[in-house]
Amino acid sequence: MKTHPSEADLALFAGGEAGRLSRFFVNRHVRECRECMDQVNRFELLRLELREFEPPPHDWNRLAAEMRANIHVGLEAGECVRLAAAEQRGWSPKLAVALASLMLLVGASFLLKSPAPNIAVEQKAGAVLESTGSGLELRHGSSSLTLLNHDGVAADQTVSAQGEIRARYVDGGAVTINNVYLE
Amino acid sequence: MGQETVLDPASSVKIDLPENSPLALISTNMGDSRASNRGGTIVLDLHMALTLRNSGARRVRGVTLLITAQEFAPGGKGSVARPCIDVPSGEQFTVPVDIRLVRPVQQAGGPLVRVQLDGVLFDDLSFFGPNRLNSQRAMTFWETEAQRDRAYFKHVLQARGDKGLGEEMLQSIARQAERPQLNVALSRNGRATGSIVPQGVAAGEHVAQFAFLKLPNAPVQPVEGWAEIAGNEARSPQIEIVNQSGKPVRYVEIGWMVKDKEGHEYLAGSVPGSNSAMLLPAGQHSRLLPDTTLKFSRTGKPVEIQGMTGFVSQVEFADGKVWVPSREDLKSSALLRIMAPSPEEQRLADIYSKRGLAALVAELNRY
Repeated sequence: MKTHPSEADLALFAGGEAGRLSRFFVNRHVRECRECMDQVNRFELLRLELREFEPPPHDWNRLAAEMRANIHVGLEAGECVRLAAAEQRGWSPKLAVALASLMLLVGASFLLKSPAPNIAVEQKAGAVLESTGSGLELRHGSSSLTLLNHDGVAADQTVSAQGEIRARYVDGGAVTINNVYLE
Repeated sequence: MGQETVLDPASSVKIDLPENSPLALISTNMGDSRASNRGGTIVLDLHMALTLRNSGARRVRGVTLLITAQEFAPGGKGSVARPCIDVPSGEQFTVPVDIRLVRPVQQAGGPLVRVQLDGVLFDDLSFFGPNRLNSQRAMTFWETEAQRDRAYFKHVLQARGDKGLGEEMLQSIARQAERPQLNVALSRNGRATGSIVPQGVAAGEHVAQFAFLKLPNAPVQPVEGWAEIAGNEARSPQIEIVNQSGKPVRYVEIGWMVKDKEGHEYLAGSVPGSNSAMLLPAGQHSRLLPDTTLKFSRTGKPVEIQGMTGFVSQVEFADGKVWVPSREDLKSSALLRIMAPSPEEQRLADIYSKRGLAALVAELNRY
């Protein structure tokens, strides 16, 4: 009986996060199993849809204004405490709270301004043309076009650096040559 | 996962032949083709057999069909070719078309895949078709190689008889079985057009020079060349060539072999003349500058590149005539072992292994 990889393994494979060994076995399996190949395709599409989901937009100007106001309030509070401290010349819980708030605020501003995941770079990634055991696959985002070897026969594959791959096989006494172009 | 809707695969594909085509579409067998819409994804699995009839007067020696997928990717396209056929006027033949298309559902209607005629090659090497894929050149090379190899095997038959031909076929089959093959992934670089020397070589990369295998009768010779290498990636191969023939040349292809760390040699691919408008006058130099990155692997493992060798594998002159290495050129070098056999040699070896020596001899005698 044919053993299929688990859904988790297929999902990791689709996301390019499977370990080296797992990737090898799953890759070998999906080349020959249409059911699992379809499942991998569905995972790839789902992954792309998630990638295309953008987080709600932040109003960075409003956040910056709020932070500046908070820092201003913190500094003024610190100034009050400094004057009082100058008179008391001792440890003040108010000063400690004010300094801690200030540090928290500065830290938060760093976190809030850290760059969001660079979605555009991945989306702009170009098409990739690849020879696989089952045929020639041109991938672009969630779309793929594969010219398959008829009945899964083994094919001789040749690559042109101009941007095309050719797969040639003999079947039923005649030669068929599939060609896929990267443009 | 999303709901699955079964679609009609026949309505997902459109087959177009020009009105004045020398080929007529007789039937389309959809086999076990499937089309479905699952959770916003269209998955189309086409396994078609197109039966075509030669409705012209000349014998057909090759046909190429252009495959385009609707709104797939800018320029994303493929082709299915049937070379090395010999179809007299009025006879039929079949072309298998096996495609898998996966894409998000979009609002556009109509067929997802379009199949068009790109070209037909006849026995006198004349051509019909729009030739959008330069299929005339490709089919002319295949037919020239076919004529070379049929002549060679006929010569073997005459000189050494049935036994000698059988031995040659066994050697060919053994070479095909033993020939090491690579899996290759191809992508575009975006290198500046016209750059002469590799620029911006990143850490871990180095520039490797090509060694060249010079075939004495080649009308074009390689002069120098290099590529940027990083592990199993080769980027932006560049090769300078010189036209040593007395005729202008419009296309050159350099075969590209790579050597791995263990010293195994593979035919990695080819570096063709990059400019479709190229015309190289006699005695002049030119550079081939494809703007691609090739990533090599074998049985799932990266193949680290240690060395590269180039050789001239195809030349097309401005008058449409072509040059391919002779059998002697191939035999006297390591190329016969490393290069893929011609489509015709592959077909003849298949006839020998499946139908025997008598069928092979009969096939050779048809020409």
